[in-house]
Amino acid sequence: MNANAPILKVENLESYYGPIMAIRGVSLEVNAGKIVTVLGANGAGKTTLLRTISGVMDPEKGEIWFDGKPIHGLSPDVIVRRGIVHVPEGREIFPLLTVEENLIMGAYVRSDHAAIASDIELVFGYFPILRERRRQTAGMLSGGQQQMLAIGRGLMARPRVMLLDEPSLGLSPLLTQEIFAILRRLNDEQKVTMLLVEQNAQIALDLADHGYVMELGRIVMSDDAAKLRASKDIQTFYLGVQEDSVRGQRRWKQRKTWR
Amino acid sequence: MNQALNFISVNGAAEPSQAVFDGVRMNADMSKGPYFVDGADTVVKLFAKRCADLGAQTAHREKDLGIWRAYSWADYWRNARLIGLGLMSLGFNRGEVVSILAEDRKEWLYTDLGAQCVGGVTSGIYTTDSPSQLTYLVNDSDSRFLFVENDEQLDKYLSVREKMPGLAKVIVYDREGLHDLTDDKIIFLDDLYAIGEAFLQANPGVFEAEIAKSKPEDVTLLVYTSGTTGMPKGAMLNHANVMFGLASFHRMIPGQEGDEIVCFLPLSHILERSWSAYGPIGNMAVVNFVESPQTVFENMREVSPHRMVAVPRVWEKLYSTVAILAKESTPLGRFAYARALAAGLKRADRQIAGKRVGPFTALSFALWDRLVLGNLRRMLGLERARFALTGAAPISPELLRWFRAIGVPMLEGFGQTESSGLATANRPDSFRLGTVGTAVPGMAMRISPEGEILLKGGNVFPGYWKNPEKTAETVTPDGWLQTGDIGEIDANGFLKITGRSKDIIITAGGKNITPAEIENRLKFSPYVTDAVIIGDCRKFLSALVMIDQENVEKFAQDKRIPFNDFASLCAAPAVKELIRSVIDEVNKDFARVEQIKDFRIIDVLLTAEDDELTATMKLKRSFVEKKYKALIEPMYS
Repeated sequence: MNANAPILKVENLESYYGPIMAIRGVSLEVNAGKIVTVLGANGAGKTTLLRTISGVMDPEKGEIWFDGKPIHGLSPDVIVRRGIVHVPEGREIFPLLTVEENLIMGAYVRSDHAAIASDIELVFGYFPILRERRRQTAGMLSGGQQQMLAIGRGLMARPRVMLLDEPSLGLSPLLTQEIFAILRRLNDEQKVTMLLVEQNAQIALDLADHGYVMELGRIVMSDDAAKLRASKDIQTFYLGVQEDSVRGQRRWKQRKTWR
Repeated sequence: MNQALNFISVNGAAEPSQAVFDGVRMNADMSKGPYFVDGADTVVKLFAKRCADLGAQTAHREKDLGIWRAYSWADYWRNARLIGLGLMSLGFNRGEVVSILAEDRKEWLYTDLGAQCVGGVTSGIYTTDSPSQLTYLVNDSDSRFLFVENDEQLDKYLSVREKMPGLAKVIVYDREGLHDLTDDKIIFLDDLYAIGEAFLQANPGVFEAEIAKSKPEDVTLLVYTSGTTGMPKGAMLNHANVMFGLASFHRMIPGQEGDEIVCFLPLSHILERSWSAYGPIGNMAVVNFVESPQTVFENMREVSPHRMVAVPRVWEKLYSTVAILAKESTPLGRFAYARALAAGLKRADRQIAGKRVGPFTALSFALWDRLVLGNLRRMLGLERARFALTGAAPISPELLRWFRAIGVPMLEGFGQTESSGLATANRPDSFRLGTVGTAVPGMAMRISPEGEILLKGGNVFPGYWKNPEKTAETVTPDGWLQTGDIGEIDANGFLKITGRSKDIIITAGGKNITPAEIENRLKFSPYVTDAVIIGDCRKFLSALVMIDQENVEKFAQDKRIPFNDFASLCAAPAVKELIRSVIDEVNKDFARVEQIKDFRIIDVLLTAEDDELTATMKLKRSFVEKKYKALIEPMYS
C-alpha cells in the first residue's frame, strides 16, 4: 500500500441527532501510519464524527472511504472486521468481566485462537499492569488502568485504524503522559494509524502528525500539528496561552480568525 | 426641567419662515440658514426640548439578560446631564474633545449628547481599531477625555497610555472584570454620574445655561473618515450641519414619532450617527440597540423596525438567505415563491417605470402577499417596514428591484461625512432605480467639467480638523464640496454615480472603466460578498473575489465537494468553477474591454479588524491591490 494514500477519507459528512445537525459537512483524510487529531470544544461534534465513522451512527449525507472502499452505512461489526476499531469515550469496558475476558471480547470477530493468545501477550507487553490484574474484574481497575484496558481491547481486533475518543479523560497528567507514550509506541512499532479526538490540545498536538480543529460541527482549521501549535488562535483558545494585558489579567478574548 | 424650555428662542438669529413637515416644524426654505427645527437652532437645544416634551416616553431600547428594556427620554436627559456636568467638574472646557470607543449602546449617546451639551466636541472611535489607531485618533483630535466600553477596550488604552499624555481621564462604561482596578487616571461611568450629581447639587441650572450658549456655527462633532490612503482625517461638523442634516433627512424620508428603528452599524460612522443619534432627536423615533454585531438579524426580527437603514452588504445577506431558503424548499414552496416573486416583480416594475399599477396586478400581488410575501417579510423582520434605505456603498439595481417585489420599498441614498451624511436620496414617492436620487432640499448640486459631483449647502462641513491644506483640496473657495465621486445628473435632477474619481481604471489600451458597476453586479450573486476589479494600466481586467462563506459552504456541501477549512474551500476546483460561472454571467452584460478575463479568490476569512475592510465592511481597493499583489501578478504574467 502506498504510504501516502489516505487510508481513511471522510467527505462532506453530515450527521444528525434527531433534528439537530451535529456534523455539518466535515471532510478529512488520515494517511496510513499517521496520527491525526481532531481538536474542539465540547459539543463541536468530535465524538459524533467518530461514532459516524465506526458505524454506530449513520450519516445523513456524505461518504466515508476506508482503504479505497466506501464504508458509510455499514453496520459497526462489519467495519470492525474491515479494520477500524473505536475506543470510546469513557472507556466502556465490561465491568463485570475480568481483564483477560475483556481482551478476549476485543477479539470477538476473530477465530485464529493461537494468534489471539499471542496478541493478549502483546497487549500485556505494552500494558504490564494489565498482566498483574488479569484475573480481576475490570470494574475494580483504576481509571487509568481501565483506559489501558480499553485501548488493549481495541488492539485485540488487530485494527489498521484506531479511533480514540478522549483517552485522557479523567486521568492525571502523569497517567495521560504514560498512555500517550504508549500510543506513540503502538504507532511506531505496530504501525497502527490513529484518529485521535482530544480536548487536551497540548498533548494531542505533541503526539499527532496532522490536526483538524472543529467548531460547531465544521472544520475551521487544518494543518500540520507543528504549524497548528504555532497558530495564535490555537495558542489562545486551545493551549491556554494568555498574553496578559498591562493590567496583569484579562477576561476577554480576541476574536477567532483561524489563520 | 421646564427651565430647559425657556432659553430656546432667547439667543441666536430670528427664525426664518417655518413650515411643518410630517409633524416637525422647520425652515420652509432650506437654502438659507440658520436652520431651526421645532424652534431650536442647535442639536443640544433641540435635545433639551425633546427630553422635556417627551419625558417618560421611550427613547431607547437595549437588551439586558435577553430581555428588551426601555429607557425614556427622561433617562436620556438625566444621564447626559450627569455626564456633561461630571466632565465640567473634572475640568472640561467648551470646545474640547471627547473620544468614545464603544459598540453601539445607549451610553454612547448619553456621552455624545452630554458632552455636546456642555460645549464639547465628540469623536467616535471604531471598536475594531488597533491600539496604534486609537493613539493616533486621540492625539490627532487633542482629546481630553476618552470613554471606553469595557475591559477589552480599556486594555487597548493601557497598552499605549504613555503615548497619549493629553488625556485627563478615561471613563469606563462597564465595570465587569475590572472590580479590583485602581488607577487614578481611570474612573467608571457610575463614578462620573456621582461626580456629576454632586456638581448638579452645587450648581443647579448650569447645564441648561451651557446648552443656551450653543451657537449654530460651533463645531460639535469630529468624524474621522476611513482613509483608504494615508491617515484618517477628522471632518468637523458644526451644529448647523447637524441641524440641516436631520431636517433634510426628515424631508426626504419622513419619520414618525414612535417609529422603531434599529441601531447596529458603528455610531462612529456618519450614516448610523445621523440615523440613530440625531435623526431621532428630530423625528422622535425609538432606537433599538442590537446586542452585538453578530445578532443583527435576530434583533431585527424581534424589533421589526418601521424603517431600516443598512449598507448593501446587509441587504445582500438578507437576499441570499431567502434565495438559498427558496432553493432548499419543497417543490410546492419553490413554486409558491416563484409565483409570488413574479407577481411582486410585475408590480415593482410598474412602480419603477413610474406607471400606474393596474387592478389585476394589484390583486394578484395582494393574493401572493397574503400567501407568501407577508410571511417572507415577517421572517426578515421587515413586516412593519414602510421603507428601507441603503447607502454608504453602491448597491445592485437588481437587489432594489427584488426588495420592492417582496413589498419592501428600498431607497438608495448618497452622502459622505463631509456632507454631514445624506446629500441625495430617492424618496418614497419619487425614485429612480440606478440613481441615488435627488438633492436634499436647500442643497445645490452640479457636475464639474471633470465629471466630479460638487455639493453646496448647509450640510457642507467647515473643514478638516487642523488640516487646512486638505480642507482647501476638498472645498472650493466659493463653498463647493468636491465629493471625489464621478456622476451624472439627469433632466429630473436624479444623480447617478458612476465611480470614485480615484477608482477609475484606465487599461493599457487606454479605455476608462468605472469598476463599481462591474463589482456591484458581481456582488449580487449570493456567492460573492465583495470583489475588487483590477486592471489599471494593464492589458485586461481581472477580479479579486471575496466569497460568501456560508453560501459557498452550503454549495460545496450540497455538491459533495470535500473541503475542510476556508482556504481549502476557496481552493476547491468546483468553487472556482462556480465563481467563474458568476463572472461569465456578469460579463455578458458588459462590452469586451469591460469583461473580466481572470480572477482569484481571497482565501482568508476577513474580519472587521483586518485592514482590508472599511468600517462598513467594504474591501479597500488600494489596500487590497497592494496586499494581494502575489495573487494578482500571476494573472498577468
